[in-house]
Amino acid sequence: MIKVIISVKNNNIVKINILGHADYDDYGKDIVCSSASSIMTTTVNAILMFDKNYISYSQKKDDFAIIVRENNEIVANLLNNMINLLRELERDYPKNIKIEEEN
Amino acid sequence: MSFLKLDIQLFAHHKGQGSTSNGRDSAGRRLGAKVADGQTATAGSIIYRQRGTKIFPGVNVKRGSDDTLFATVTGVVKYERVGKDKTQVSCYPTAE
Repeated sequence: MIKVIISVKNNNIVKINILGHADYDDYGKDIVCSSASSIMTTTVNAILMFDKNYISYSQKKDDFAIIVRENNEIVANLLNNMINLLRELERDYPKNIKIEEEN
Repeated sequence: MSFLKLDIQLFAHHKGQGSTSNGRDSAGRRLGAKVADGQTATAGSIIYRQRGTKIFPGVNVKRGSDDTLFATVTGVVKYERVGKDKTQVSCYPTAE
């Protein structure tokens, strides 16, 4: 199961961790994984298109982290859009992706 | 910070193509002829290893409990056709 952990401070998103595997199907056929990957990659690259210093990301084994370095409307909107899409995915595939918020 | 490369299986499990629970087999039993046609077999020696009677015991040849055929005398081994589709093996003593 993919776990998305959203860290919020003073109502601002400061970090998003995406952990684990969807385990929906074998490698190459996992549609839940491909959706989550595409949503996340599109969002990260879109933010970096505006300014490469808005966020940073790190990729360790089974743990992808997005760290917000500058909180503004663009970053907030794009990240919230990503979270909304991931929540829709969670609603359709509750066994394969789970979103949690921590303050 | 560089752009991310799109990997649509980033969060997929790197399972192999699926595992199989097969892949076991027993060792070969080395069945078949131990003495060829025209060769000499000594009394008691094994002529043919088999499961069931692919080859039937003929003259001076007996069948063991595991269907093994063995010579009861020392002699020359002969594989002979019996009927339409059967084969028997015999052992003819060589003239002393």
